[in-house]
Amino acid sequence: MSFREPAWRVTTRELEASTEEERGSGERAASYLLSPFGGRLNRVLVAGTLSPAEAVGRDESQPFWRARLTDPTGSVAVTAGSFQPRAMAQLRAVTDPRPALVVGKVHLYRGRDGTGYVSLRAEALRSVPESEERAVLAEVVAQTLDRLDLLERLAASPGASEESLASDGTPRLWVRAALESLRRYPSFDRAPFRAGLAAVIRRVGGTASVVPPPPPAPTVRVRRDVPPPTRTPPSAAERAEEALVLDLLDQVAEASLDNYADRRELLARVSSQGLGGSRAEEVLTRLEEDGVVEEPIVGKLRLSERPS
Amino acid sequence: MPATPTPAAPREVRLRDLRPSDAPVEFVARIVTCQRREVTRKSDGSRRPLLSGLLSDGTATVRFSWWDPPREGVERGTVIRAVAPEVGEFRGRPEVTFTWRSRVGPASEAELPHLDPAEFPRRSLRDLHPPDEGFRVEVRVVRVAERAVSVGEERRVVFEGLLADRSGALSFSAWSDFRLRAGDAVEVTGGYLRSFRGASQLVLDERTTVRRLEQADLPEAGEVLDAPPRSMARVEDEGGGASVSVEGRVVGLLPPSGLVYRCPQCRRSVQAGVCRVHGAVTGEADLRARIVLDDGTGAVTINAGRADTETLWGTTLEAVRARLREQPDPSVLESELLEALLGRRLRVRGTGSKDDFGVTITPEQIDSAELDLESTAEQLSARFGSARR
Repeated sequence: MSFREPAWRVTTRELEASTEEERGSGERAASYLLSPFGGRLNRVLVAGTLSPAEAVGRDESQPFWRARLTDPTGSVAVTAGSFQPRAMAQLRAVTDPRPALVVGKVHLYRGRDGTGYVSLRAEALRSVPESEERAVLAEVVAQTLDRLDLLERLAASPGASEESLASDGTPRLWVRAALESLRRYPSFDRAPFRAGLAAVIRRVGGTASVVPPPPPAPTVRVRRDVPPPTRTPPSAAERAEEALVLDLLDQVAEASLDNYADRRELLARVSSQGLGGSRAEEVLTRLEEDGVVEEPIVGKLRLSERPS
Repeated sequence: MPATPTPAAPREVRLRDLRPSDAPVEFVARIVTCQRREVTRKSDGSRRPLLSGLLSDGTATVRFSWWDPPREGVERGTVIRAVAPEVGEFRGRPEVTFTWRSRVGPASEAELPHLDPAEFPRRSLRDLHPPDEGFRVEVRVVRVAERAVSVGEERRVVFEGLLADRSGALSFSAWSDFRLRAGDAVEVTGGYLRSFRGASQLVLDERTTVRRLEQADLPEAGEVLDAPPRSMARVEDEGGGASVSVEGRVVGLLPPSGLVYRCPQCRRSVQAGVCRVHGAVTGEADLRARIVLDDGTGAVTINAGRADTETLWGTTLEAVRARLREQPDPSVLESELLEALLGRRLRVRGTGSKDDFGVTITPEQIDSAELDLESTAEQLSARFGSARR
């Protein structure tokens, strides 16, 4: 018996902080994003300020739109493609930043270096009056606090049974999610996150102003658990290779409709210039790690606007 | 009752105590339903009459098969005495077969076992499931209404409503007038459970007795109707019930929602001009909304009819049809309905039933339940501050 996945009330910060995943096995099995704050997320309901959407991808038969939703704790990418026609139409209709609700499925993209990037595939969304956004944020805070309290209780008494917790009205789903959350994030400091909810409460009460619209450039937020090993500076030969890759990336991007360079096309061009497949991959990976090149969509590359 | 039955003297039993065994038994029971047919034998192709149906003596109901029954004099309501039937079992429930070895004859009402209400175990409503019977319950009549129905040719009045005790609520239907009034506290003895449109229902028939109670530990009718909403996780666990109250936000619509066409005879929705039962018909326009309501712990489907859909949507069937004539794209209507509903916080009370996809509630009342922002923010800050220590 598998019932509909509930829409977890979450802040965008909870989505940003989630790096663990549970993949279902078997046919039509659901996947879950496990959050450090007691969520086992598949479907979520979020509220915040939605930025105007931009079209991504250049295949006109497969339109795909992306916007960012910002709440007082952070922001998350909201996408919709031709498989969500209604949500896509709604997303395209957003022409200036405005309060909105989004119901969607979470999606974790993991880059080759292990960086997690969470986005939200919209099932339904609606721009709403500010009061409705605040009302949903109120639910988000209340339920997030409930889950944090549950985590604390479970951490304090690891032997507590699901039954005894469920008997006082705590949903079994939440208990199971909280146990998994404690297991996957054993030494996570949850206090800063909890403190951050104060901003959301101020927003609910109307004492905080509207969340400013997010910065225009949606980029991959790089989080590393382990600092990258320091490398020796690149040799002259390596620099020449990098220059070649960057040159060709510019050319490919310019020729494309969406200003992104297709990864495969780029690699093909690079190899035709004498730089072999695995070597080209290495150079590209190094450029990405150094923040010179970014891959905001799988398989689509561009130069970073602010190289580190 | 003899302590050790001997083969010569069948032991008289109540149907409740009937177990598959070789020891001969006898019992008196009433035929509740029966159906006569002929079965063709495989060996020689000859046809043999069979009467089958349900027997009850007030303690239990069992299925019976009667080979070569008398041509007449046996019908629904007849009381029979059966000596030495074969007692078998099907899916864990006993059933009896009357063969040439059995002796079955008419009996009088007076021979039916006399049942003292004290003999019926007392049960609470939550533990009752079809096809339970032979119990008594102490309940509050939450509401009752009479309805005229036609059973075959016959017109009958059925009394329907809601009963409740501390464990939960259950809908009921009574086929005789027990003079039940909303607010009454009663003891019901000898009813049975059946499944009606996916939900359990307590049936009070002519064998049921109702006794008024002076005092009882029962919820008031108002308490049941105004019960605070329960979390959807709990509703999903418990599988709905006759009176469920939930509160959540609209997170989606399920098809078909919006403008639908219904068969003029049976009200089923018409697909491509064809009713599942009545074939090609001219469908009548109607509005409905299958709302997914979610409170973060679970989700239920609310099956809203025309009146509720019109109120929530803020439009009328006529207006919707007029717009459809201007812009003949029904999917636009569904988008508009979703736009009108998505994210709204609703409190819904109604009858819940559960299947493989979850709980569906047929609403009796739908109210807007938006939060008061100021007081909610205060509560949240108080909670936030106090927990910071």
